[in-house]
Amino acid sequence: MKTKKFTTLGAALLCATALPAFAESHATEMHFIMCGDDVRPADQAIIDEFIADRDGVTVNLEAVPWANCQDKSLTLAAAGDAPSIAYMGSRTLRQLATNDLVVPITFTDEQKEAFQPGVLQTVTSQGQYWGMPHAFSTKALYLNCDLIEEAGATCEAPATWDDMAALAKQVTENTDAAGVGLAGKDFDNTMHQFLNYLYSNGGEVLDADGNVALDSENTRQALAFYASLQEYAQPGVLEWERDAMVDLFNDGQIAMYINGPWGWGRHNEDINQMVVPVPAGPSGESGTLLITDSIVVFKGTGHEDLALELARALTTGQAQYDLDSSWGLTPIQQYDKLGFDEPYYTTDPKWEVFVSSIPTGGPEPLITDFKSLQAVFVNMIQGALLEEDSIENLVAIAAEELADAL
Amino acid sequence: MTDVLSQPGATVRPKSAPRRLSDRAFAVLLILPAFAFIGVIIAWPLVETIRLSFTDARLGGENYVGFENYVDLWNSRRFHSYVWITFYWMFISVLAKMVLGLIGASLLNAAVPGRALFRMLVMPPWVIPIAIGCIGWLWLYNGTFGLLSGVGQRIGIFDGAFPFLAGKTSAFYSAVVTDVWIGTPMVTLFFLAAMQGVNRDLYEAAWVDGAGRWYRFRRITIPQIMPVIVSMSLLSAIWTFNSFDIIFILTQGGPRGATTTLIIDTYKTAIGNFKFGEGAARAVVIVVLLAIFSAIYMFLLGKINKIYGVK
Repeated sequence: MKTKKFTTLGAALLCATALPAFAESHATEMHFIMCGDDVRPADQAIIDEFIADRDGVTVNLEAVPWANCQDKSLTLAAAGDAPSIAYMGSRTLRQLATNDLVVPITFTDEQKEAFQPGVLQTVTSQGQYWGMPHAFSTKALYLNCDLIEEAGATCEAPATWDDMAALAKQVTENTDAAGVGLAGKDFDNTMHQFLNYLYSNGGEVLDADGNVALDSENTRQALAFYASLQEYAQPGVLEWERDAMVDLFNDGQIAMYINGPWGWGRHNEDINQMVVPVPAGPSGESGTLLITDSIVVFKGTGHEDLALELARALTTGQAQYDLDSSWGLTPIQQYDKLGFDEPYYTTDPKWEVFVSSIPTGGPEPLITDFKSLQAVFVNMIQGALLEEDSIENLVAIAAEELADAL
Repeated sequence: MTDVLSQPGATVRPKSAPRRLSDRAFAVLLILPAFAFIGVIIAWPLVETIRLSFTDARLGGENYVGFENYVDLWNSRRFHSYVWITFYWMFISVLAKMVLGLIGASLLNAAVPGRALFRMLVMPPWVIPIAIGCIGWLWLYNGTFGLLSGVGQRIGIFDGAFPFLAGKTSAFYSAVVTDVWIGTPMVTLFFLAAMQGVNRDLYEAAWVDGAGRWYRFRRITIPQIMPVIVSMSLLSAIWTFNSFDIIFILTQGGPRGATTTLIIDTYKTAIGNFKFGEGAARAVVIVVLLAIFSAIYMFLLGKINKIYGVK
């Protein structure tokens, strides 16, 4: 009898200890690296719903600031401990694809047609798609009309670079503020800021065949103009990156600067602000840099299909619309054609500037060694700002270094 | 075959007694864990780094490339400038830390009221996490919102806002100041501890003979604490040479490479750009340079110690 009791007790204990292990073996935990300071509520809602609909599935969601995020995902992947899924800049895709770290993505024709023009090119490499575009931005020039009027000027869109320089000069000379905010820090958005000027002057980084086309008159003009604006910019351009300029704008220290649509919501409500297209250079028309961030699914985790499901849930239909509209992003899809009634960008006039520039925008160059691309541009821009070399030499050197990096 | 135990004079070990290890074997056994630890933590990574330096290892794989990475470094003008910046950074920073550390330790060693409080006040730069301290300095150096620029303008040193981290020279020396601020307290405390160990009789005898303060400092204090000065300066030099966080947080090596030391360049190459092979070659160069530097340093300091009569 005693033996039987012990046997039963032993069996019960065995079951009690084995069950969690069994359950664990059937549970799937996905590691999701989300670049950004916080997880956006619209994304969080979809992830919560995704988990609730699937037994045994959990998502270890980790928000990592942009400065380190992409390095972290890539380093983990290189070490054989890749996250299941990650939200990161599309500029990383070529490197990820070349090194066979992520799974290719397929879209139906219907899905392809829904995207804004140019969006899918930002995730294309070697004839395949490598990420699901999840955030899209175009850029425009923000004006602080209070400062501009205080300087005795009319608050209206400067159409050309000459107009912009004249306006910046007038503000600098007649107020305590700087005319324009410029980025020059060793940071990726210094390159992005410059590309807005380059694309507004008809310039390009790579031609249609993927060859370096940087060494051109368009680039030299853009670089010379960027450096010349320093005279009317905030002190110490080299210590500023674009996002920190929001503080300068809010503090009334700069009268204008280029930012994405989210800038509007981050500016103080009491600022009389206006948003206008990036002024056109002497050799081009107003343009903008088209940037997307994408969701990628890493290989070798054992649950790629599940990760793909989550990626699709986050990037399609109402989920994507909620993110774009709540976070102030340029619409990544043509929601008006998808049947959305009066999408947010059709009812608010400021969106006209950001949406109308999509067809004339230029892409963020997609090269394998994207860090070298950034280093080459920052080196060229800082060289011009510090006046360390002639504009011609700086552009020629940058083109040469970029060709080496391809 | 002759049985050793059966020979005259041989110790007969009872069959039941445990076999005893020789002293040598016992010693080896004791240091074996330490050897294993060093092997895993130091030797293996070092060997692996050397191996990687002969490859073009990157995210997707690696190929043997021989000495190509080293040849590229040899031919790179940019790399040469980073070597120069690194040694200059190390020299200036260590010199400042040693001088300030000696001055600070001498003052804290003096019989002044509130000495204990002053000793505590020396500690914060060393106790505060480096990242937090650096972020504080980052704001101090900011030209538009920073305290230093604001105060400088008010007292008439600067005409307008002075962005310390925006100029190549000012960014370099700003990083040095922060490094010295963080590194000096530890040097001070080590020097202070050494000064407190100096025999007071020596000072009294010198005082009786009419020796002044400066003479006593120069002829008694310095020679007596010379071993600590030697050790601290060498350790400080190695730490400063490899100092990463301060520069990276303040300037990321910029502007335009003005604060890019070898360790920053290695990080950017290996971790930032995922060129592990090229990064490994840089790491090997750092190890070799530090080894050469340490050897020369020890040789010269041996000479100095002889002059001061320190064994």
